[in-house]
Amino acid sequence: MRLTSSPHFYACLYIAVGLLAAFNIFEIVFMLFHKNRLDKSEIEKELLKHRISTAIITVTDPSEVLPKPVNAMNYAAYNEAVSSIIESFEGEIVERATKLIYKFEIDLYYKRLSRTTIWFKRAHAIDMLSSLKLKKNREFFYAVFKSEPVKEVRYRILYGLSRLARDREDIYSISKLLATLPYLTAKYTEDVFLNTITALKNAGKEEEFGFFLKQIMTNSGIPLKIKRDCLSACYLAGCERDGLIVKEYYNAFQNEPAIIIACIRTLANVDPGILPEVLHHKDWRVRLTALKYAHLGGTDLLHDLKDLVHDSNYHIRLNAALALSKLGDAGLEILRGETASTDKFAANAAKYALTGAEAAS
Amino acid sequence: MAKILIVDDDDTILLIFRTHLSKAGHLVETAVDGVDALEKTSSFKPDLILLDINMPRMSGFEVVKNLKENAETKDIPIFIMTSLKQDANIKRAYELGINEYITKPINIEHLKLRIDKFLGKTCS
Repeated sequence: MRLTSSPHFYACLYIAVGLLAAFNIFEIVFMLFHKNRLDKSEIEKELLKHRISTAIITVTDPSEVLPKPVNAMNYAAYNEAVSSIIESFEGEIVERATKLIYKFEIDLYYKRLSRTTIWFKRAHAIDMLSSLKLKKNREFFYAVFKSEPVKEVRYRILYGLSRLARDREDIYSISKLLATLPYLTAKYTEDVFLNTITALKNAGKEEEFGFFLKQIMTNSGIPLKIKRDCLSACYLAGCERDGLIVKEYYNAFQNEPAIIIACIRTLANVDPGILPEVLHHKDWRVRLTALKYAHLGGTDLLHDLKDLVHDSNYHIRLNAALALSKLGDAGLEILRGETASTDKFAANAAKYALTGAEAAS
Repeated sequence: MAKILIVDDDDTILLIFRTHLSKAGHLVETAVDGVDALEKTSSFKPDLILLDINMPRMSGFEVVKNLKENAETKDIPIFIMTSLKQDANIKRAYELGINEYITKPINIEHLKLRIDKFLGKTCS
C-alpha cells in the first residue's frame, strides 16, 4: 500500500506543515523580541556609561551622584567606563574612578561571579577584573589560578596578573605558571610579557624586565618558546635598547633558530655586525629573518647577498634579490649581472627584484 | 582658542577630552573612527587633531596618510594618542608626518600644557 493512499496522510501532512510554520513564526517573533531587548539594554548601558564618565570628570566624589549598580548591565557599564579611564589616563581622574569601584563594590561583584559553576561566566568575570588593574587583585588572581580547573579561564587569570607585575619576581612567577599550561599562541605569550613591561614602565622599573631576561636565560624550567616570546615582547616594547642581554641570548642559543630569530630583530638595529654571520646560518628561517634587516648592514653585505641569490632555498634567493634591490646602484648592478646567470632560479629572482625596483623608482 | 578635533572609538575617552579641552577654552569636535575623522576634518577645519591609532574602519596611520596627501589638510598638526608603545609604531607615525606621539595613560593637565605650548609656538 502506498503511503499517500492512507486516509490520514494529508491530514497529518497539513498538521506537520502547520506546526513547522507556527514554530518558525514563534522563533522569528522570539528573536525580534530578544534583539529589541538587547538593543534597549545596550542603549541603557551607554547612557549609564556616559553618566558615570561625566560624574567622574565633574564631581570629586562621583558615588554621591550616581546610582548603585543593581544588575549585570549596571555593573558592566561601571566596569567599562572605569576601565577605559584607568587604561587611558593618569592622575586625579583615575583616583576618582578607582574610589568608585571600591565604593560600589564592583570588584567584589566580579569576584563573586568568578566563582560560579559556569566556566565562561568565570572567564568573563576575570576579564572584567583584569581590565580594572587593581593592585589588590594580585593575591586574588594567584588564589583563583590554583583552584581554577578550566585552562581557558587560567589563561585569562595570567593575563590579568601580567597587568599587575611589580618586579622581576612577579614576572618570574607568571612565567612559571605559564609553563604549567599548554602553550597557547606566540601572540598570547608576547601580550602577557608586553603587559608586564608596560606595568613596570608605568612604575618606573623598566630595567626589571632585563634582569628577569637574564634570570631565566639558563633556567631549564622555562620552556624555550616562552623565552623566545619574552625576547619578542622585549623587542616590541623597545625595552632592551642596548641589546646587551639579547646578545648574551644570541651567543648562548646558537643552535636554537627560534631564539636567534627573536634576537636578530633587536640586535640588527644596535649591532648590525652580526648580520654577515646570521646571513649564512645553517637554518634557512634564520637567514630569511636576517635578510629582512640586511639594509641595515649597507653595502658591506653586497657579497653575502650575492651568494644568497644562489641559495638552495627559494625564499632566500628571492629575498636576497629583494634586499639587493634596496642597496642602491651597487645592489642593482649585481642584480643586472645575475639576470644572465646560468642558475635560472637566481636569474628569475634577480629579474623579479629589478622589475620591482624599476616600478618603485 | 583653537579648534581641536579628537578622534577615538571610545566614547568615555572622547567625553573626557571634550570636557577638559572645552573648559580650557578650545572649540572641540569629536570623531569616532578614521572615516569620520576625515569627514570632520573637511567640515570642521581643525587647528589640531588628537588621533588614536587602533580604530574601526580606518586606522590612525591611514588617517594621517590621507591627511598628509591632501593639499588642504597636510599642514594640520597631528598628535597621536595611543597605548601602542613599540618603537616601530612611533617611527612609522613620525615618518608619516605627525607632530607628537603621546602614549597612554595620559595626564590631562600635562596634555593641556603640551597643546598650549605647541599651539603658542605654531601661532607665533
